[in-house]
Amino acid sequence: MFLSKKYYAPALAAAALAAVLFAPLSTLAQSAEKPPKAETATPRVDRWLHIRVNNKESKGEVVRVNVPIDMAEKILPAINQERLRHGKVRIDAEKLNDVDVRAILDAIRTAKDGEYVTVQSNENNVRVAKNGGMLFVNVTDNSNAKNKTKVEVKVPMKVIDALFSAGKDEIDVVAALHALSASGDTELVSVTGDDSDVRVWMDAKNVSN
Amino acid sequence: MLLLAKVALGITSTLAVGAAYTFHEGLIHVDVDEARPGGTHMHLWVPATVVPVALHFAPRQNMREAAERAKPFLPALRVLSRQLEKYPDAEFVEVQEGSSHVQVHTQAGSIRIDVEEPGETVHLRVPASTIGDLVGELEADAPAE
Repeated sequence: MFLSKKYYAPALAAAALAAVLFAPLSTLAQSAEKPPKAETATPRVDRWLHIRVNNKESKGEVVRVNVPIDMAEKILPAINQERLRHGKVRIDAEKLNDVDVRAILDAIRTAKDGEYVTVQSNENNVRVAKNGGMLFVNVTDNSNAKNKTKVEVKVPMKVIDALFSAGKDEIDVVAALHALSASGDTELVSVTGDDSDVRVWMDAKNVSN
Repeated sequence: MLLLAKVALGITSTLAVGAAYTFHEGLIHVDVDEARPGGTHMHLWVPATVVPVALHFAPRQNMREAAERAKPFLPALRVLSRQLEKYPDAEFVEVQEGSSHVQVHTQAGSIRIDVEEPGETVHLRVPASTIGDLVGELEADAPAE
């Protein structure tokens, strides 16, 4: 026996007192330890950038490249070679022939949806338009009457904004990829030529079939 | 008799634990087959755990030279090894030209490079974590800035 009978009552009283005193504390502690209700945030879906090149030449070469955008976002800043530094590519202002790309993009961004450039000639047709937050560039080469080469580029404006969000003579590839991953499934580039087809698109699948 | 049983149990347990440790990181497979007279036929299976240990005992001078050459790519390789672990079964590159086929993909956490050409096949399989180990060893030998 640990306690004699005469100590039962004080021991029980002390235990009861302790229970009364510490019960609210322990309850409080439990409620404090409980994690707050998780916000109903949608989990980020892995986006994949797919590139497919179909060569129509004799052997029919097919090249498929699938890159997780998240992976590219992480790896690019770790590559510091030549013009690529910290995920940004330095552009040579001289090669732009004094064209102020930022001013043009700013004008497009603030402008209403519509067609900005439409050229129709014997050599090629060009169309540049903005619609629903997307920039469209369509070029058709008419020089070969039998096999017209068609180039269709569709880029979310947010991606273009992110691309030119870095310094004056830089384009921020990582920021553009980040913006791209936030976009939904998108077909970005489609080139249909007489010798090859190229397709660049983005979706949540890890295969390009 | 009881003593003998205890010794046998000890040896078996040690072997089992040793084997489990040796193979816990997976295997590196290298298969090269050239279908021509005198062609190379190489089939190499090495536990991935052996790589960092072997590098540790490699001549310092050679390791320093390798590390110096690889230094600009080490940060990217380190990130790549971590990222590859997030994509254990994925197809990254596939090139098909006639009967030639090149594939770079991951399977069960290993990066695989498969090349099949008429008369020649190369299959390389390396656990993604081994790339990280390799980078770690090279970083330790790389000259300071």
